[in-house]
Amino acid sequence: MREALSSERDGRSRLLESMDSVDAWKPGRGTAESAIGDPTPAKDEPDPASDTPPERSGTGFLLEAVTGSAVVLFLAASLLHVLLVFLHVAPPNVVSQRYSSQINAWIFPLFEQSWRLFAPDPESVTRQILARTMHTSPDGTQQVTDWFDLTAVDESDVEHNFFPSHTTQNMLRRAWTSYLESHGSDDQSNSERALMIQKYLRNIAVDRVAEHRDSTFEAIQLQLITRPIAAPGAARSVDGTAPVPPIETRYLPWWGAGPDEN
Amino acid sequence: MRTEQTSLGSTSPTRRSSPVSNAYTVLLEQPISLYAASVLRIGYGLLYLAFLLREFPHRREIWGPDSPWTPALATQLFDQTGWFSILTLSDSPLYFEGCYALAVATCALFMLGWRTRAMSLVFAIVVASFHARAIFMTDGGDNLMLLMALYLCLTACGRRWSLDARRNRLQRSTIGRASRLTRLGSSDRWCNLIATRRLLVTVLHNCGMFVIAAQVCILYGSAGLYKVQGGLWANGTALHYVMNLDLFQPWPALSHMVDSQQMLVAVVSYMTVLVQVAFPFVLFGRLKYVFVTILLGMHLGIAILLGLPLFSGAMIVADAVFLPDRFYQFLARACGRIPLRRYAGGSAATSSSGCRG
Repeated sequence: MREALSSERDGRSRLLESMDSVDAWKPGRGTAESAIGDPTPAKDEPDPASDTPPERSGTGFLLEAVTGSAVVLFLAASLLHVLLVFLHVAPPNVVSQRYSSQINAWIFPLFEQSWRLFAPDPESVTRQILARTMHTSPDGTQQVTDWFDLTAVDESDVEHNFFPSHTTQNMLRRAWTSYLESHGSDDQSNSERALMIQKYLRNIAVDRVAEHRDSTFEAIQLQLITRPIAAPGAARSVDGTAPVPPIETRYLPWWGAGPDEN
Repeated sequence: MRTEQTSLGSTSPTRRSSPVSNAYTVLLEQPISLYAASVLRIGYGLLYLAFLLREFPHRREIWGPDSPWTPALATQLFDQTGWFSILTLSDSPLYFEGCYALAVATCALFMLGWRTRAMSLVFAIVVASFHARAIFMTDGGDNLMLLMALYLCLTACGRRWSLDARRNRLQRSTIGRASRLTRLGSSDRWCNLIATRRLLVTVLHNCGMFVIAAQVCILYGSAGLYKVQGGLWANGTALHYVMNLDLFQPWPALSHMVDSQQMLVAVVSYMTVLVQVAFPFVLFGRLKYVFVTILLGMHLGIAILLGLPLFSGAMIVADAVFLPDRFYQFLARACGRIPLRRYAGGSAATSSSGCRG
């Protein structure tokens, strides 16, 4: 096995040496030179340091040129990729702002990433999302239901569950944060993306209400209650008094609930 | 990552070792960390399989044509972002079920290492498709699994602990393929082609492993540095808030019990930041074993306390890239099931089948 390995290596270093003479790649010279001190390679190898090209057939030469270029390409691409990912992840800076179009062209969409896991600060509020629906009967009277707690359903699904589903932990939560990011406090969908998110949030609410309540409805409204998480005892004693941020309640406009409502 | 140094040294004892030629040798001559690559393959294949099966009851809600994120919305977003997903090619429920079955089969075969190179490509397409289709339902764990699925295509992640490795071993022992190839491979050109292919595969693998390791470092480094900027991490109460998020509280009694230990919360909050920031800098020494162990503990804690097993699993598997081959060989010997030493040695010797001229 020892022999097999060393002869395997010889075959390779032969290839590398000739490859090295093709693209004169600096680290390659290091190996070629150090291989001289290695007694195992055959003596009839071309001297890698000499400028005369090795005697080879056209295809062999081509093969080595292609191989050498490919190796350089792989290395350059890996280093460049890591650099671009770093610039994408790092806070905006002089370099990333100057090359933002190149960085974005490479990163998006496949390599997009954000590692602000509970950072810079974890959320210090809990959000409760409720929905109510409106049904207009044929005679024109409107009936509005009680509030249905969508978040409570998610929370009860998570409780005592070793492997909570993405539908409970991420679906409504992320739809809501995306809504917050894309909408101002006036709930106007001012961009195409905002409108898409609004439809998504409405669809989730409609599906969830329809799943739990046996009623027909034409419109749906969401209510969001934001409750601050109380500071731990230690922080309270440092401050002397614990600040009590108020509970916020936000009502979203009524949205049509039909499948073709947009 | 720099684990094959010792084994390389044993193949060329007389070689003078300058840092440059060392790096060159590691990069071009031998695929590094083949065990770690296989552990990543098994880990991510298994995790995505577990994810798909866990969401089986919710599969239509997440990826199906009836999802709240409708196929129309998904396609609209793809037009804006340039994503692609096999799932939006048709709105037919039958087509979706087919894709789901394909995804499950792909994950299983990838995990087992059957025709690994081809399966790794299919696995990447599957993961990217399912990720993109439900992009607003993903979290950090999904993001990491997608990146790793993409990077694993570059690596030779099927050389160890796989069906491919087993098949190669069986073929060698029964037919004596090596001798046949020696006869076939008597021509120089054939040898050159084989050597070229092997070289390119090796370089690609090593580049892939480098990118994976760098990606994990970027992940921890940025996660840590962003936390440094936060006031709650600075005063050591961040974990208190994390543990009071209702959606990440599968065991409320346990969360409250941990939360009531203020000293513990503060120490672990600080340690989280320190370990994450320091992680990229300890990888080149023995200290990395301590850090990997601490991170393992943290991720197990996250998995149970916050109900995020998939996210934690993805992180734990990512950490595995930093463990050297000799560690995995030791682990395998300690488990005592499979005589891996023999496999590893055998495959190294004969994978270079008969191109000896």
